[in-house]
Amino acid sequence: MVQHTFGVSLIAVLLVVGPHMNRTAVAAPQTVQTEISFNRDIRPILSENCFACHGIDAEKREADLRLDLPEAAVGTVDDNAAIVPGKPGESLLWHRVTATDSDEIMPPADSHKKLTDRQKETLRQWIQQGAHYQKHWAFERPEKPAGDGIDYFVQRALEADGVNFSPEADRPTLIRRVSMTLTGLPPTIGEVDAFLNDKSDQAYEAMVDRYLASPRFGEEMARHWLDVARYGDTHGMHLDNERQTWAYRDWVVSAFNRNQPYDQFTIDQLAGDLLPQPTQDQLVATGFNRCNVTTGEGGSIQKEFIFRYAVDRASTTAQAWLGLTAGCAVCHDHKYDPISQKEFYSLYAFFNSNADPAMDGNAILTQPVIKVKPPDYDTKIKEFVDREAALQKAIQEKAATVVYSDPAELNPRPPVQETETVWFEDAFPAGAKVNAPGAVLVDEPVGSGSKSLKVVGAGLAQTFYDKGAQPLTSPDQGKFFLNVFLDPQDPPEEIMIQFLTKTWNHRAIWGADLIDWGKQHSTERFAAGGLPPPGEWVKLEFDVTSVGLKAANKVNGFAFTVHGGTAYFDKMGVVGQLDPVNDPTLSHTAWRNAQTGKDTPGAPSDVNQWLKEGPQKERKPEELKRLRDYYVSQVCLTTREPFAALKSEVSAVNKDRTDYEQSVPSTFVFRDLPKPRDSFMMIRGEYDAPGEPVTPATPAVLPPMKQAGERANRLDLAKWIVAPENPLTARVAVNRFWQQVFGIGLVKTSHDFGTQGTLPTHPELLDWIAVSFQQNGWDVKQLMRLMLTSQTYRQQSIAPTERWVADPENQQLARGPRFRLDAEQLRDQTLFVSGLMVHEMGGKGVNPYQPPNIWEPLAFGGSNTRYYKRGNGDDLYRRTIYTFFKRTAPHPMLENFDAPAREQSCIRRDRTNTPLQALQLLNDVQHFEAARAFAQRMMETAKTPEERIQFAYRSVLSRLPDKEESRVLIEFFNRQLAKYQATPDAAKQAIQFGDSKLPSGVNEPELAAWTLVANLILNLDEAIVRN
Amino acid sequence: MNKPNPLFDHQVLQTRRQFFGDVGIRFGGIAMASMMASQLNAQEIEDRVHPALPNLPHFPGKAKSVIYLHMNGGPSQLDTWDYKPNLVEQFDKDLPKDFLGNRITTMTSGQAKFPVAPSKYEFKQHGECGRWVSSLLPHTAKIVDDIALIKTVHTNAINHDPACTFVMTGSEVPGKPCMGSWISYGLGAETNNLPAFVALVPNFPNGSNAQALYTRMWGPGFLPGKHSGVVLRAGAEPVLYLENPPGVDRSDRRAMLDALGKLNTKGFEKFGDPDIQTRIAQYEMAYRMQSSVPELTDLSQETKLTKELYGPNVEKPGSFAQSALLARRLVERGVRMVQIMHRGWDSHGNLPVELGNQCMDTDQACAALITDLKQRGMLKDTLVVWGGEFGRTVYSQGKLTKERYGRDHHPRNFCMWMAGGGIKGGVELGETDEYSYNPISDPVHINEINATILHCLGIDHERFTLRYQGLDQRLTGVEPMKVVKKILA
Repeated sequence: MVQHTFGVSLIAVLLVVGPHMNRTAVAAPQTVQTEISFNRDIRPILSENCFACHGIDAEKREADLRLDLPEAAVGTVDDNAAIVPGKPGESLLWHRVTATDSDEIMPPADSHKKLTDRQKETLRQWIQQGAHYQKHWAFERPEKPAGDGIDYFVQRALEADGVNFSPEADRPTLIRRVSMTLTGLPPTIGEVDAFLNDKSDQAYEAMVDRYLASPRFGEEMARHWLDVARYGDTHGMHLDNERQTWAYRDWVVSAFNRNQPYDQFTIDQLAGDLLPQPTQDQLVATGFNRCNVTTGEGGSIQKEFIFRYAVDRASTTAQAWLGLTAGCAVCHDHKYDPISQKEFYSLYAFFNSNADPAMDGNAILTQPVIKVKPPDYDTKIKEFVDREAALQKAIQEKAATVVYSDPAELNPRPPVQETETVWFEDAFPAGAKVNAPGAVLVDEPVGSGSKSLKVVGAGLAQTFYDKGAQPLTSPDQGKFFLNVFLDPQDPPEEIMIQFLTKTWNHRAIWGADLIDWGKQHSTERFAAGGLPPPGEWVKLEFDVTSVGLKAANKVNGFAFTVHGGTAYFDKMGVVGQLDPVNDPTLSHTAWRNAQTGKDTPGAPSDVNQWLKEGPQKERKPEELKRLRDYYVSQVCLTTREPFAALKSEVSAVNKDRTDYEQSVPSTFVFRDLPKPRDSFMMIRGEYDAPGEPVTPATPAVLPPMKQAGERANRLDLAKWIVAPENPLTARVAVNRFWQQVFGIGLVKTSHDFGTQGTLPTHPELLDWIAVSFQQNGWDVKQLMRLMLTSQTYRQQSIAPTERWVADPENQQLARGPRFRLDAEQLRDQTLFVSGLMVHEMGGKGVNPYQPPNIWEPLAFGGSNTRYYKRGNGDDLYRRTIYTFFKRTAPHPMLENFDAPAREQSCIRRDRTNTPLQALQLLNDVQHFEAARAFAQRMMETAKTPEERIQFAYRSVLSRLPDKEESRVLIEFFNRQLAKYQATPDAAKQAIQFGDSKLPSGVNEPELAAWTLVANLILNLDEAIVRN
Repeated sequence: MNKPNPLFDHQVLQTRRQFFGDVGIRFGGIAMASMMASQLNAQEIEDRVHPALPNLPHFPGKAKSVIYLHMNGGPSQLDTWDYKPNLVEQFDKDLPKDFLGNRITTMTSGQAKFPVAPSKYEFKQHGECGRWVSSLLPHTAKIVDDIALIKTVHTNAINHDPACTFVMTGSEVPGKPCMGSWISYGLGAETNNLPAFVALVPNFPNGSNAQALYTRMWGPGFLPGKHSGVVLRAGAEPVLYLENPPGVDRSDRRAMLDALGKLNTKGFEKFGDPDIQTRIAQYEMAYRMQSSVPELTDLSQETKLTKELYGPNVEKPGSFAQSALLARRLVERGVRMVQIMHRGWDSHGNLPVELGNQCMDTDQACAALITDLKQRGMLKDTLVVWGGEFGRTVYSQGKLTKERYGRDHHPRNFCMWMAGGGIKGGVELGETDEYSYNPISDPVHINEINATILHCLGIDHERFTLRYQGLDQRLTGVEPMKVVKKILA
């Protein structure tokens, strides 16, 4: 065992092998004069200690002194200047930082800042050497330094530290490292064997290329970007309801798989909507700036949230692409970076004309949204259109063959007829969903047919239906009738009949007016008379108009109601007058007269228009024919019957089309208002305190923006971001990808490239990669390949403990990367090796296993994400990127393993190591079930315990176990086997945890014992990290 | 051969990491040397799973731990603590225009009238201090001599989501660490068997108007994830994934962890990465939690007398009363911060009914917690804080009768109380105007409350910062904030 204590000996080690970043400091003792670099040595001191009061923030500036600008700070003795080049003794700065008087000393005591002697000495030397200022490194355009390749620069740095590259890692370690880096999954045993057996010189490069080509690549890359984009499946505030914008997530996956150049990737997301004839994909991409959290909380002040959204979008854009923490300038001039408050609001002005509302309405789709049409959408729609057109043609052809003569044109005039339509006789209309507490159809007494309806109630009682049956139509004129028998032993005080149109407000009553429904003396409560005599069948009648019904009303239900007694109801219906000459359903002329000046629902627009214009207007013969054809096929009672089959086919096509259209999802897109909002500097960052007006513009410290129109827009901004002269974008991007690959950026503060960020550990390397990236057309796959094929990446991650302690984050790059897998990778790896993983890509987020009461105790009562509805089957085993992301309560797997809540942009995750993580990987049903499935694979694939363990090691770690490892595991297996043989019930329980099915005829104690072995292997440190 | 002590190594590594944090390159040689010195001191630091930052506390604090009782939704100050006897005469009269101001929520900004709704509750004086307390809080009324009441707390936000975020993180915008995470980060905790920071989300009366909670209220923001509050859940599995899967018992886990430990130690010998030792330590901690958490939540050891103090609901898992008792047991075991978030205080409509239920659900247990802590001698070093995210308006929202009224959100002044470690009992701070609409003396910003909480723990809130996004971030925001000295013991 390596013994390590943290005593005096370690100091020596640290001094020798301290990470590269401290090389200068360590190698430069106080007394030795070295060349001071402003950016490396001075700016950090000033920035940390002085700029808060002597920097760009005009409001907080003390003594009218700026130390961030040479022209303000540097002068002569006569000016009483803060800095007199070459003369520390004459420089006020030097006097103040070395003062002993508490009124004099800088930084002042109340700032809680203090300069070390070393820092003071550094300042002195700098002044001595001429006080040369430099622009902040990241704001200077990168030049491609001489030298070639990543390894060249890393090696030079290592040599300066007196160390060498570590040896290359072995092939099993390499393939797992590459596979995890590029796809987020471990390699299969087949992939490992292929790589181990590939003897060619290019075996490694070919292996990298295989993973770059995998569709899993886009999923792994996207997940990092989705942290930046703050993507979630809920609105994020208050109700935190669901939002449908996953097409954006799928677009990101596909953009990486298509290897979309990073500049295009940028433009599409920031300004896809402003491109000429944007494609659907380009619009979907603008969802980036709709991913911010929004509210629908009642009582919110609209202006306040419009303001906040624009601030979020401007800050996120600045941080994601430029590595600038511009958000600080919301309230005041940026204290450290040369971004004034006015400049922040000029950036904000690009995003302040957003068309989306302040309140998201808690709706799944908050405008603006677009339908995300699949590639065959137009073809599908055309099919529906064609099918319908063919049917319409058939209808027309058939109509032409129909013989119809209009009764209005007959001589002599046909007589008026009386018709009776029965609505209730022995039964309610077909399909009616009858609601009948305590009511029954009885055989005795019966007034007509074979049954009557008995309604009994001590108080109010009724039998009714309100859905299920085809609607009924009453005539415009006519009479309702119903037969009633009141029980002489128990006569009711009141009886009532009610009809349902859109409301139940069509009632007729007999007897005492006890039921307090509807307005008295109106059609809502028509008093039709006294109660009929009990003990006999009586036919009651009333006018259709007295209950406010006419032919236009669809009757969707009716009710027989009694109060305080028993009544029997039988044969109910309506008698109407039918005049063939004046009835629109019999006479074409009457129909045209009736529809004059009105819309005719369901009619094609031309027919509708002609009808509306009335029969007086002259029509062409073909128009008249079309009207007649429509009438005979759709309206006329005597002719329309033969068209029923064709018409139901039309309805079916229409239904299919509607279903299809509804199955096509929508997604949030970004769009501007037609007229831009005025933007102002907001005083102290308050939404209701507008100051000076601003227009869209970029910060002056960066190169100027070219603008196409009079007013700069987001497209100008996006193009400026990816313009070759922009010093930040490429550096920020390659640094983030580097962080993905090596675990930490060359600039550790990958979210902050300003003066408060850390300096790059390898500045030349960063610039070399950044410029190469630009020169290679922003080719992301090529960049990944460049990093992954470097010797730097391929080093083994083995080192003496002292080296780990000296450089825990491997900034020196003297060994290969080794760090804990991310949340998604951990879960995906387990599902992958277990064989349970479902690789389906894209679509609505799914709900895998989650313990109860993660959402419920937190959510607002009315939220539609209050109750977690666990999915089934495949939903349990999809890749984690497809897990539904509820932002106010993310899945515990994500939360436990440092995934951000996606409430704001996150450029770098932490990597913590907690007991809760151990509990989850050991006990979570998701992981334990997968261990069982993995154990099944072990038992199916290999025979002996040794071989099974070998299979497991190769699946998870890509390597074979050594003898000792095998021995420990077999010992543990034997213990568990003995236990489970003795307690078969425990074995059964263990292997039945989770939803997936067990194979039949399995040896349960043995499977349970292997399940625990698998659970152990998946919890090995080596399995949890990328070696 | 020395057996490595994973806990100790973990601690050293953490200390070391703080020095190689974002500040890395700004340290010169002298800083390096001073870091070495602290490396040496590291050996003197006891083996703690939750270590404090090396420079903390800044000064000896009176409180060792905090129990924060968050009354989510905004309790009405007018019906509990802020006694306004003269309002009875103002019943149904419009609140004078010059009081109203323009920052009111759009739930009531459209009302034609802003009729004054006097509290229907009787107020009486209690304790030696003679504190006015409404009849809704009969139990809390008995401990008024132990608490400091602040009647003039104010906040920036007028809606729940931003206001809750503000009260817990010092900022309205999501993404900042909550108070408990800051405290865990700064001070760690005394326990090696439990988390440093625990959050409880009890149930609340049916029919109350409950607002949402957000994990960010106990989330670590930009601090490392291990400073997140661990939610102690009601029922069988108080900590997520605490229980072994079915068919796996504690001896199986022990055997497995022994084997896992052997293999991981082999890994450590191969790779040399001290993180492997940390991982071994965390797996052992997880194993210990599997017994320490059930021990914690097993209330059978509590006496009948103690349980009676908290009231009958104490036996009901997930009740506020049981959560309050668990809070005491947590701090007793060395947990640094406990946050109880009780929902349902958002009484827009039928305030008397809802607020009555809310108080009934919490009043006895709040008082019991203070009494219980005091009896055990724990109150002197436990700080207890009570309050919501804002107060409620004097004017009625919706229909007003003497018996029925509602109140909208009111950020300008509301009541909070603090008791225990570092706090002077029996004091009252701040006066509000005749309508309880604005402070007229001693206004206290919510971040001044937060500064005071840190102060009680021995932390100077201005010096307790972490550089993130170019700013020295702190719990109490960028504006200057003062500790509320007048309520300190």
